[in-house]
Amino acid sequence: MLSAGLFCLAALLLFTITYYYAEKYAEQGELEEIGVEFARTVGDARASNFLLLPEVIARRLRERGAEHSIYLLQDRAGRKLAGNVPPMKPIEGPTRLSRNLSGDLRYPVAEGHTLENGQYLLIGQDLVLLGDMHAVMVRAFASSIGLTLLFAILGGLLISRYILRRVSAVSETSRAIIAGDLSQRIRLRGVDDEFDHLAISVNAMLDRIVELMKHTQQVTNDIAHDLRTPLTRLRQRLERARRADSGKEARLEVLDRSIEDVDAILKTFGALLRIAQIEAGGRASSLVAFDFSRLLTGICEDFLPAARDHGRHLSAQVSSGLIVRGDRELLMQMTVNLIDNAIHHSTAGADIRITADSVGGAARVIVADSGGGIPPEERERVFRPFYRLEPSRKAEGSGLGLSLVAAVVKQHRATISLEDNLPGLRVVVVFPPCEDQGAGAAHRELAFDAG
Amino acid sequence: MKILLVEDDVEAAQHIAVTLDEEGHQTTLAGNGRDGLAAAQSGDFDLLVVDRMLPDLDGLTLVANLRAGRIDTPVLFLTAMSGLQDRVTGLHAGGDDYLVKPFEFVELLARVTALGRRPRRLAVEMTLQAGDLVVDVLRRRVRRAGREILLQPREFRILEYLMRNQDNTVTRTMLLENVWEYHFDPRTNIVESHLSRLRTKVDKGFTPELIHTIRGTGYCLRVPS
Repeated sequence: MLSAGLFCLAALLLFTITYYYAEKYAEQGELEEIGVEFARTVGDARASNFLLLPEVIARRLRERGAEHSIYLLQDRAGRKLAGNVPPMKPIEGPTRLSRNLSGDLRYPVAEGHTLENGQYLLIGQDLVLLGDMHAVMVRAFASSIGLTLLFAILGGLLISRYILRRVSAVSETSRAIIAGDLSQRIRLRGVDDEFDHLAISVNAMLDRIVELMKHTQQVTNDIAHDLRTPLTRLRQRLERARRADSGKEARLEVLDRSIEDVDAILKTFGALLRIAQIEAGGRASSLVAFDFSRLLTGICEDFLPAARDHGRHLSAQVSSGLIVRGDRELLMQMTVNLIDNAIHHSTAGADIRITADSVGGAARVIVADSGGGIPPEERERVFRPFYRLEPSRKAEGSGLGLSLVAAVVKQHRATISLEDNLPGLRVVVVFPPCEDQGAGAAHRELAFDAG
Repeated sequence: MKILLVEDDVEAAQHIAVTLDEEGHQTTLAGNGRDGLAAAQSGDFDLLVVDRMLPDLDGLTLVANLRAGRIDTPVLFLTAMSGLQDRVTGLHAGGDDYLVKPFEFVELLARVTALGRRPRRLAVEMTLQAGDLVVDVLRRRVRRAGREILLQPREFRILEYLMRNQDNTVTRTMLLENVWEYHFDPRTNIVESHLSRLRTKVDKGFTPELIHTIRGTGYCLRVPS
């Protein structure tokens, strides 16, 4: 409807403008002729000092026909002396006569001047041609507007029906999905138009949602298992102790083990909470640019003695002046988790090497160990909460170390990849580029003492 | 020490109070923020243990009010909120230390002792001494029995912390927080590794042994009597 209205408006505008200019043109031409006639009439009468002017006018009227010509001569006082229109207030120059003066003339155009003797002469013409043209144009435009309107309405109806059909297809599918059938997808019509693009995007979104739901389901199962297992053990032990008739020693033992279990549960709980906090952290929270090199070097120094006590050879090569925009505490914990993992998932004699440099303005840190590594098919899954590689299912640690690392990496919009260190595991974390990244030609080299 | 405990969980409050009293302290209980503030303002206590989440007047506001009233009794916050920002907020409000629930009693006792002996607003000692061990904090020099001992920066900080808490047990968590500024627990026991190296440098070849391991709790630097 709106488009139909707009079309009509445009057509009307076109009509008006065209008519206006046509009219102006015709008028202009006519006025020129009137000017010539005026000069001639005055010229003819001047010889007689304008005394014969009324006769000249009468003759002219006869020659040119009084139907469409306009002549008027009036004296100073406004009394009509000759002509075929009633007297009027003198108007100098070209003019259009008003209705009541021109009788039933349609487009009277005239030019009037006061003569040297004080008399006022007006000569004009009825633009009949223009009148005809006007009628023709009105007819033409009326019919074209009519047709335009018809087409516009028709076209509008067709288009809106088409759009409505596509849109209702989308709403219907959406309703089915909302009702619970997640397998539904919006059908593509294969015409590669905006609707198809929309359908593709929405379908992709639905795929993602299904994937996330499956993932959440998996995580919930894992969490339930990892919290329920120690809780079950705890409950059973306490219940058994209650039934049994044991001595003080045994009871103390039960209490000690129970406290241990509770601590383990709390630790898991705390780690989960921490990860949730990080993930809910929000982008802008306390991201500050700081010296990442110093942080890394500090942590490596902290771990050197402990690594040696565990029989691991820890070494580091850290370029100086690496800047990272982030949360210092979180990055500390991330680094510590990675080094902890390297120590605990390798065996005595293993090498652990930490490297840090900048690649294209982006800080990069690599923690590589020569331990057991992670098989390629597991590399996606190890970031899941509680996920453990089969052999270490019952090992110490909450199973959340890498989940926390993943959460911190995501918070910092960094990337993490797990690669084969041949042998062992290589963890590569790359941060987004930071403007004031130092080139860091110098680097600190740390190694365990030979002693 | 005379301790004021502001905690609304009755059972928890009783457990804590009994534990503290068994160690020789005298604990007074306040069950809500307003009572706690009133009691604290009497200025009679050596230490305040304040739960952050209280029904009427929350712990932070309580302490902020105290500090505004120029009462600088040491404050230990207890809280279930382990958030990264929460600790900072607590310290900014005027707290001196921060313990996340649930905590081990030994942790509470160690921190209470450490806070209690901390002299507020007095000049920090720059020369520390225990037996024949002398530490010059400004010049970073350590001597024992006249002999110079060279320490790594981290080892020095551990020694300084132990000495400033001389005769008191210092827990692993306290060391992690104060020496390493780790507010989390690494799986690898870096504290133990550093302590053993420190001991080798400071105790080995000297008598008496100054650095002691207190089983189940932490470490303590003291001259054995």
